[in-house]
Amino acid sequence: MSHHLSAAMLDSLIDGELPETQSAEVSEHLSQCPSCTSAALRHSLLKASSATAGHRYAIPPDVEQRLRREARPNSSAEPRRNVKERSHWGGLTAIAVLALLACTAVILMQRHIRNSQAASAEQAIFTEVCDLHIATLAANQPPQVLSSDRHTVKPWFQGKLPFSFNLPDDLPSNARLDGANLTYINDRPVAQLLYSIGGHHVSVFLNEGPPYVLANLAHAERQGFHVMEFRAAHLEGVAVSDVGPAALAELVRAVEDAQTPRG
Amino acid sequence: MALLAWKRTVRGPTDQASTFEALALPLLPALYNTSSWLTRNPNDAEDLVQEALLKALRGFSSFEPGSNFKAWIFRILRNSYLNSRAGIAAQRTVSLDERLEADSAYPEEVIEMTTPETNFMRLSDRAAVQTAMEGLSPTLLEVILLCDVEEMKYKEIALVLDVPIGTVMSRIARARAALRLQLAGNAALNRETRA
Repeated sequence: MSHHLSAAMLDSLIDGELPETQSAEVSEHLSQCPSCTSAALRHSLLKASSATAGHRYAIPPDVEQRLRREARPNSSAEPRRNVKERSHWGGLTAIAVLALLACTAVILMQRHIRNSQAASAEQAIFTEVCDLHIATLAANQPPQVLSSDRHTVKPWFQGKLPFSFNLPDDLPSNARLDGANLTYINDRPVAQLLYSIGGHHVSVFLNEGPPYVLANLAHAERQGFHVMEFRAAHLEGVAVSDVGPAALAELVRAVEDAQTPRG
Repeated sequence: MALLAWKRTVRGPTDQASTFEALALPLLPALYNTSSWLTRNPNDAEDLVQEALLKALRGFSSFEPGSNFKAWIFRILRNSYLNSRAGIAAQRTVSLDERLEADSAYPEEVIEMTTPETNFMRLSDRAAVQTAMEGLSPTLLEVILLCDVEEMKYKEIALVLDVPIGTVMSRIARARAALRLQLAGNAALNRETRA
């Protein structure tokens, strides 16, 4: 190696990220080049200094106690076993009946636990979607991409999302595209399309769904907000708004239809 | 209603709780430190850690045992920060220069105008380094926190930030170049003040 080490190579060296094949070559170069050795030392000093300076905020004991309690799942959620003492009946028939009842109870309990967990996970997503919509309204700030032009909004997501989507040409009467945000739901990047219908704001969250198809329109209500879910092509969408369900369904249908190429 | 794509697969309930505690609680100081750096406010930092913990707890059934829990929970923390009011405001105030700068480009080495001795003294000044870190944009600060403070590998940082490893490397190089510039600038300012 005749040339000096680049900044990237020096960083990889001090971060212990150099591949073994390069490591020997770099070591050999450092043994012969005082300039690079000095640069490596500077990089190393800076890393050590920022590591020390970065440990700045110690968690206060009362905050730690509170957070520890938060991290502890509710013990009442633990499944409880209800064991009943029964008198000894004797006889094979009675034992068989008891065994059957026990098996049924275990199966029912497991199903109940599974269902309640699934419902709880679903409820969590539901809450997150509503919270994001409310936070957008409360932020009183313009969207990350502020445009009513679908040819501006859609390209803005290029390189930001691992999937693409279409925006409808024709919107229902009174509906208007206001812009969009890149947001995260359950640790996944999601497009938040912002529409308004009259004076009501609507968030349509688009996410890349699993490959199976299920295009049933589901609808739920929470604290005055209507939430509708739809599925089209490779996408899953959720719309949230306080607008009437009929107007929301019309907008949802337009977004849903836009995902399906016309023949 | 289904919300199928975002719904977590359900795992056995009994050992889940104790495993989560065992994995998450030792990381509380690190999560709090990172949150404090990002939000610059103790109340917001506490709220952010709390939100990340609750989200992680709710989604723990989707965490693959044996994979990197630290990267997983830091990613949740980071995404929660980006969705928070402080995070949204920070994203909107990122300088135009930084946005225009290509992620793939490595910065030139900052020219050292000082002697090794003064450089060493400057880096030994913890408060000066902290001030320089405060001057970094959130994008650059977070890679310094993850790489230098949390000692994560590039691969783990890429998981947390959801970017390719090459982008992690270029951000680290830019962050360190910016830190050196900040430190050099602060030192020059101090000299002028004393003079």
